[in-house]
Amino acid sequence: MATLHYDEEHVLLREQARRWFAERSPIAAVRRLSDDSRGDDPQLWRELAQLGWLGLVVPEAHGGSGLGFTHLAVLLEEAGRQLLPSPLLPTALAALVIERGGSDAQRARLLPRMAAGELLVSLAQVEPDGGWQAQDTRTVRAQGRLSGEKHHVWAAPTAALFIVPFRQDGTVRLAVVDARAEGVTVVPEHGLDRTRRSGRLVMQNVAVADDAIFPIAAEDVFAHLLPRACAALAAEMAGGADALLAMTAAYAATRVQFGRPIGSFQAIKHPLVNVLIALEHGRSLVYAAATALDAEAPDAELLARMAKAQLSETYMFAAARAVQSHGGFGFTVDCDVHFYFKRAYSSRPAFGDAMHHRRWIADRLIAPAP
Amino acid sequence: MGGGDSDIDAGRRRAELQAWLAANAPGDPGFMLPQSMLAVATREQFDFLRAWQRRVYDAGYVGVEWPREYGGRGLPAGTQRIIDQELARAGVPFMVNAIGLSWAGPVILRFGSEAQKRRFLPPLLRADEIWCQGFSEPEAGSDLASLRTRARRDGDDYVIDGHKVWTTLAHFADYMILLARTDPQAEKHAGISYFLMPMKVPGVTVQPLIKMTGEGGFNQEILSNVRIPRDALLGQEGQGWEIAVATLSFERGASEGSAGSSAGVEDAVGSLIAMARNLRRDGNPVLHDPVVRDRLAALAIEECAIKWSVPRSRIAGLTHDRPLALPLMRKLVSSEFNQRLSDFACELQGYAGALWLEDPAAIDNAEWQRTFLNSFGVTIGGGTSEILRNILGERVLGLPKSR
Repeated sequence: MATLHYDEEHVLLREQARRWFAERSPIAAVRRLSDDSRGDDPQLWRELAQLGWLGLVVPEAHGGSGLGFTHLAVLLEEAGRQLLPSPLLPTALAALVIERGGSDAQRARLLPRMAAGELLVSLAQVEPDGGWQAQDTRTVRAQGRLSGEKHHVWAAPTAALFIVPFRQDGTVRLAVVDARAEGVTVVPEHGLDRTRRSGRLVMQNVAVADDAIFPIAAEDVFAHLLPRACAALAAEMAGGADALLAMTAAYAATRVQFGRPIGSFQAIKHPLVNVLIALEHGRSLVYAAATALDAEAPDAELLARMAKAQLSETYMFAAARAVQSHGGFGFTVDCDVHFYFKRAYSSRPAFGDAMHHRRWIADRLIAPAP
Repeated sequence: MGGGDSDIDAGRRRAELQAWLAANAPGDPGFMLPQSMLAVATREQFDFLRAWQRRVYDAGYVGVEWPREYGGRGLPAGTQRIIDQELARAGVPFMVNAIGLSWAGPVILRFGSEAQKRRFLPPLLRADEIWCQGFSEPEAGSDLASLRTRARRDGDDYVIDGHKVWTTLAHFADYMILLARTDPQAEKHAGISYFLMPMKVPGVTVQPLIKMTGEGGFNQEILSNVRIPRDALLGQEGQGWEIAVATLSFERGASEGSAGSSAGVEDAVGSLIAMARNLRRDGNPVLHDPVVRDRLAALAIEECAIKWSVPRSRIAGLTHDRPLALPLMRKLVSSEFNQRLSDFACELQGYAGALWLEDPAAIDNAEWQRTFLNSFGVTIGGGTSEILRNILGERVLGLPKSR
């Protein structure tokens, strides 16, 4: 029978993270930063580095904490609960990619500075047509020069480096591209979610030397990344959905109409219980996936995709019920719910929505469709 | 991590039980067996199932965590779960005295006097005495505490008058866990007491009810001037509601302590896919239909989440924000999942889904249809899904009462 890995260390990390994010990233700060041109707080970033949270899963040899994926899931769940606007998740994913795909020299050059908060690296893999898997890549490299466009790049306006999949001679590889290189233009996107900034990366004949290219093929790196990205994002989404549920239940318990709290009406209560059930199922899948990823178990990818599928729908469900249950107030920007709603909305397509993963799951369970 | 058994012990136990099952699993009885203890209708079904429970008990696989002095084996917590999993995997019949094993027994262990424990627990484990549950009444379903059955003290006896309904196994039962009102003046919850009532005494009339599947196994009882001894009272007078809530918690799987379960199929989605491999829909294999595939994947996700919620529920650090959520969800989510899954299975069968038991063209002997119809017994019994949502909303989310 299945086992889950969760010990005293995880409990302590969760307690510390929950306290810290609540103090340092209260919703009032998130609200303030949502109108800020940069979108995140550089001071917070330095503190996150000092806490060791930027390099949580980076090996100690490269300046990280060398902890497991279960720890990362705990940290991201707590960050998601407070809608942390700092690019913690993009950094974790970029580090996983470098760790897996980079050469020794590339790892040594990039990872310690990332963990120290001195270098922000982001993954730029989404094509203008929305394709985000290795085989969807259209950016090309010819005569050492890269041309193409990537959209929906997290932290694009503030990142110093991008990891960019490209085609050359029929294979897809990954290159490290400097934001300041000649021919690189970064255009901030006007996204609905102002708590996680993104942008478009336009590359026109950008010189990319051979030593900026990863030795491992993009397909292999992405195969490693995908389940981890799904589980990490799902953990963050679980935290956000949990915050929404708590907020909505508290409101329904105190808001009085017809002479009684609206939470006493089953029309309000039962849908919130349905959110609870979907969320608790999602969390069970997140912890199962994180444990399986650390153990490199054969069902790790299945569990991670299940977790992302579940949370993609559950976070939106929780957000929609939260707006509706808060009534007219929930429909305004004065209510905090909309920040979560928009985060749920922007997280849904990232690394595949529920339909995408259910198609893969069905192929795995039934055998691929003809 | 939870459980007292090491992995090595668990592996040894599994291997031992598998070997025993290989030699002792009963074959086809030659007549239709019920899917669960909710539908044991005929004497031959009952005798077959009782003999099976006795064999499993005598081999040492029932009540293994209970103390030795009450017929158990005093083995560490977690052992029964391993055994139940292996029994479910082997597809052998369920334990017929399930109400005794999973709710009357644990409640007697917790609330019973020493004499009651010694008297009732050993024969219950071996199915020598069968138990049923007398909670619901025609006018007291979800509003259980409004029950009207009376228990009057008369010398050294209690005298019972009332009407109980939806009683599984009553027609074979030797004892009933009975809720009756001992103090009609008291506030409605406070006036209730809990009895271990013998069934084979004058004044107990059992009338069968037929379920929508056409199966029996379900009854109502008219209790008229039934005289039972004073020591049939469990706990104190007026403690009945507290013990009833504890009983329901066992019934819903929210409390652990069962002496053996009738755990269902482990991989229901896998069975559904296996069934659907031969089906066609609109001229093509049904499993090629992308809409069908999407829904199957959604069911697989739900099944997996339910499965992983079990080990998670034993880790304090992973439940500490809402400790009651997973235990209180268990019966609600598994019963609704089984209902949705079996309904989908029948829908995939198209016209054949409307064929019933004994039609030679029915797929899998119409087991999926029978499962779907029977699933309502579980979404209604033991607290309806609606009542359970109230409980979750109030006790887990802190919402005000709906009443």
